Amino acid sequence: MFRWKATAATIAIAAIALTGCAGGGDDSGTSDSGRADRLTLTAIIGPTSYDIGQGAEYGNRSPFFQAVFDTLLQKNGEGEIEPWLATDWEYNEDNTVLTLTLRDDVEFTDGTPLDAEAVVASLERFRDGTAPQAATLAGKEFAATDATTVTITQPAPDPSLVNLLSIAPGLIQAPSTFDDPDSATEPIGSGPYVLDTAASVTGTTYVYTANPEYWNPDVVKYDNLTINVIEDPTATLNALKAGEANGAKIVNNDTIPEIEASGWTIEANELDFQGLLLFDRAGTMAPELADVNVRKAINMAFDREALLEALQAGYGTVTEQVFPTTSVGYDEALDSTYEYDPEGAKELLAEAGYPDGFTLNMMSTAAFQTTFDLVAQQLADIGITVNYTDPGTGNFITDMLAPKYPATWMALEQNPDWQLINFMIAPEATFNPFGSQDPQVDEYISTIQNGTQEEADQATKDLNAWIVENAWFAPFFRVQGTYAVDADTDLEFWPSNAYPSIFGFSPKN
Amino acid sequence: MLAFIFRRLLSGVILIAVISFLAFLLLYAAGGDIPRRILGENATADTVAKKAEELGLDRPLLTQYFDWLTSAFTGDLGRSWFTGELVTTSVTNRVAVTLSIVIGATVISAIISVVVGVLAARRGGAVDGTVQVFSLIGFAIPGFLIALFLVLVFAINLGWFKATGYVPLTTSVAGWLSSVTLPIIALSIGAIATVTQQIRGSVIDAMSRDYVRTLRSRGLSTNSVVYRHVLRNAGGPALAVLAVQFIGLLGGAVIVEQVFAIPGMGQLTVRATTLGDIPVVMALVIVFAIIVVVVNLLIDLAQAALNPKVRLS
Repeated sequence: MFRWKATAATIAIAAIALTGCAGGGDDSGTSDSGRADRLTLTAIIGPTSYDIGQGAEYGNRSPFFQAVFDTLLQKNGEGEIEPWLATDWEYNEDNTVLTLTLRDDVEFTDGTPLDAEAVVASLERFRDGTAPQAATLAGKEFAATDATTVTITQPAPDPSLVNLLSIAPGLIQAPSTFDDPDSATEPIGSGPYVLDTAASVTGTTYVYTANPEYWNPDVVKYDNLTINVIEDPTATLNALKAGEANGAKIVNNDTIPEIEASGWTIEANELDFQGLLLFDRAGTMAPELADVNVRKAINMAFDREALLEALQAGYGTVTEQVFPTTSVGYDEALDSTYEYDPEGAKELLAEAGYPDGFTLNMMSTAAFQTTFDLVAQQLADIGITVNYTDPGTGNFITDMLAPKYPATWMALEQNPDWQLINFMIAPEATFNPFGSQDPQVDEYISTIQNGTQEEADQATKDLNAWIVENAWFAPFFRVQGTYAVDADTDLEFWPSNAYPSIFGFSPKN
Repeated sequence: MLAFIFRRLLSGVILIAVISFLAFLLLYAAGGDIPRRILGENATADTVAKKAEELGLDRPLLTQYFDWLTSAFTGDLGRSWFTGELVTTSVTNRVAVTLSIVIGATVISAIISVVVGVLAARRGGAVDGTVQVFSLIGFAIPGFLIALFLVLVFAINLGWFKATGYVPLTTSVAGWLSSVTLPIIALSIGAIATVTQQIRGSVIDAMSRDYVRTLRSRGLSTNSVVYRHVLRNAGGPALAVLAVQFIGLLGGAVIVEQVFAIPGMGQLTVRATTLGDIPVVMALVIVFAIIVVVVNLLIDLAQAALNPKVRLS
């Protein structure tokens, strides 16, 4: 028995010794350079490839790219575009040629210069590659007129171009790595940090050290940066509670009270809306949807406040618009266009010739079962029977865009105006799979693209009002995007991206 | 003996080839639109089509399998479609992590099971009753619940161990211990419960055999009878159970690695299969199959060593 006691004692001593190395809460002391030692973040997804031609992406993948690459332009905490690699940018008279002036003091971390040639090569790589937003640069031509001047020529004005250059399409990768297949996991950029590939585990842990030669050292607040990809929400919560992260993306808003109770600060924005996309506005697949009264009735069927409470624990804001609050087109008054009124909805359906309702085919997916059940229930209350098909997780978007269904529930990003229009409203937009088109909409779009700023702003307002009036969608609410930071960290949260800018974090002194 | 090993290895290779083909077919059957899944909803149809071409998904299924197979034979397992990492690097890094947890759990459960199982069998009465009750509890509680409980108490409240992540042994021994101890305990408990029962049963059974009576009648001490003779006979079935446990623990690691956010094979398997990362899943299928074949072979050899009556031929 003595041996057992000795063993137990050894285990106890080992456990005590281990306490010294557990937890990461002691990393925030500032060093001589005025920076803190380490910032540890958790993310819910890692990069698919560091090669910008294959994987460049913002949203939840932005911190990985921001750490190692620079963008041509940068967005500040208010979402405004500021100089970055490009110090100046100017359009020609008809907005078809954008001329960018570059800094002349930037080098990639492999020592090669970041000049106009490198920028052109990088932009071309993105345009010709398979990154999710590759098509945003389609049709554009890039040229280096001298070492620090780049021109972007496009067949027609693109009001989103400047914004695009501040996100994924504007990332600049060292052309010396283009032919290296390892560039998928070993990035060379000019960014504030360098990936420590030896200390990183691809897909799980990304460890970065500050770039000693960075051209803009003032914005780098930490000597080291670690981003841990944790997909499981419970594990994220455990990492927070154990002090193993300074900042974490929270996907489950139900856990917010628990996180706040643990002494963390919640930062929030609203980027995505959830609701129904009433795709078949011409009624080719579901003739009922061609009648605007039917689409209006569907909008009136939903008790949006109740849905927000039931599905998001109240974290978010009800809306009836697809344009975000940051858009010039947004009008708060439009959010009460369709009061919750099942009886009124039934009357509208009767007026449209469907007094007994009809059956609507839509898609479901197991991950959002509660949502689909509630949607079906609310539509049933006005006489519309929903017939759900589960196409399998991997086919949800494909079948949606095929298009195989006249309407669908979806969560969609609320991009800046021109991107949003080309994402879900324009005849060729990805999320306008039936190609809905209306002369009035075309006119608004044309003015937004070609008009003066004032005309474009007014047209955006008119377009948004038209879309709401004609019930092209039935949005329910904007979901709160949530980010938690610990007591040692300050965060200025970007209003327009799912993940904060890595420049938004700073140590509390 | 050598002929036996050779035959087993050969049948193992055939088995792995068959499994790889079936896995390939199943992955495609369950597949869905993988390029769209890689690119997300922001990509246009053109970009999605371009991605499919880049990944070679536009070719006939059998051509894709044949290409994979011939590349695999040259040691080229491709790159992950979702991280860009070389599959060989991906899998090698994670095998070490998972094996350190699974082997740790196997060793610990073997030691504890033998000690407790023999104790229960020899002492009987209240000791045996207590062991039975704890075994039942250990067997009944799901591994993830144990894992969550351990994290809450020992990582979050007491701060003794890491709640998430993995520290390689080469980076820091203390860090490694801090990151693997709780996962090993979480994995071990179910295995201990099962193997203890097996050992207890085998020992009780052996103790009533004639040869034990003979040994005792020769005046051998109980300790000697139990540890030199009975355990040797009880060891065979226990080893078989332990082998099944080891393979089962690989499955258990899937859940434990999720809870502790440990970059092991389990986590990789969950991620790769959910996403449809075919190059990675195929490599994992092969690795798991190899482990199962090798473990079974080793157990046969160990049983033969323990008991010469087991004929390998």
